[in-house]
Amino acid sequence: MREILKRLFGGDTRPSKDDAKQRLKFLLIHDQVDLTPGQLEQMKAEIMEVISRYVEVEDDHGTEFKLAREDGHVALVSSIPVRRVVERQAS
Amino acid sequence: MSECIVITSGKGGVGKTTTTANLGVALARGGAKVAVLDADIGLRNLDVILGLENRIVYDLVHVIEGECRLKQALIRDKRADTLYLLPAAQTRDKNAVTPAQMRELITQMKAEFDFVLIDCPAGIEQGFKNAIAGADRAIIVTTPEVSAIRDADRIIGMVEAAELPEPELIINRVRPRMVASGDMMNKEDILEILAIPLLGIVPDHEDVIVTANKGMPAAFDDESIVGEAYRRIGRRIKGEKDVPEMVFNHDTGFWATLKRWMGLAPSREVAG
Ligand SMILES: Nc1ncnc2c1ncn2[C@@H]1O[C@H](COP(=O)(O)OP(=O)(O)OP(=O)(O)O)[C@@H](O)[C@H]1O
Ligand SMILES: [Mg+2]
Repeated sequence: MREILKRLFGGDTRPSKDDAKQRLKFLLIHDQVDLTPGQLEQMKAEIMEVISRYVEVEDDHGTEFKLAREDGHVALVSSIPVRRVVERQAS
Repeated sequence: MSECIVITSGKGGVGKTTTTANLGVALARGGAKVAVLDADIGLRNLDVILGLENRIVYDLVHVIEGECRLKQALIRDKRADTLYLLPAAQTRDKNAVTPAQMRELITQMKAEFDFVLIDCPAGIEQGFKNAIAGADRAIIVTTPEVSAIRDADRIIGMVEAAELPEPELIINRVRPRMVASGDMMNKEDILEILAIPLLGIVPDHEDVIVTANKGMPAAFDDESIVGEAYRRIGRRIKGEKDVPEMVFNHDTGFWATLKRWMGLAPSREVAG
């Protein structure tokens, strides 16, 4: 009953201010290090390319690669699940 | 002790001029001797908001270039006795003045006034640099929107880089109904992001438009909720502690009341 009412009154839609807040936090971190989300993506692609020369990367599943604010400083946080080591090629 | 406060924002149109005019009136009515200085050279507006546009003879650039004395350029607001305006030049541009000249002018003004309030132009270029040059303290005005807050964050960094003390925040154009429904960031959301002290919040209200039409800032009107918001901010600027927060009511219509009654909507008040 409460659920139906809630839906009827739009109570369960995510308030748009949460979107605003999330987008803002994201923006400010990128502004602080002057690195756009697009540049971060590009950096990720390049790093992934290097990593995959050594280990097999679980393609995108659970891959995390982002900027985070930790007490005033910005940190690059990444978590890249790998499957198994690729046989190294002597080159 | 006299103080020069710059009212700035980064983003344009968020309410710097409205805020400067109202705080000037509020502080002057509170007994202080106040000068408001329009630093938006080329786009002067503070004179119009204060209803003093017909009395301008000289402007800030005339004073700086030595064409008149400071006293000749200052316009006294007859409605508030201790309020004076130093208008911007309308036909010059921001490069007509340097930060060093502004500093000198402010020093001269601080000898005469308790407060010198500077209405800063939008942007982060020369006009902004001139406006903050002589300031002892900065107030950042923002609206509860992503773009305005982003720019405010940038300006906070620039104010700190200019070695001014930590700036204080005014959140303007708050709509209590939208805050209650979760469609507008509330003051806690904004303070979590900007992390500077809050001076107060000002509702989005038709009084601002009506008073701008008349050239009579809301802070003159004892009945106006916007005026009251600015008067309380004025008291906080003077250092008065425990100024009570304003409570802005919104929608008391049937559906809103029903929603609240069923616990589906947050409380109907916004304080700040
Ligand atoms: N609290 C408010 N409620 C309603 N309207 C408002 C409010 N504050 C400002 N406005 C309106 O927003 C517009 C811009 O205000 P104002 O000129 O004070 O901003 P500004 O920051 O000085 O702009 P600029 O960057 O161009 O100098 C005006 O039309 C004003 O009437
Ligand atoms: Mg303005």
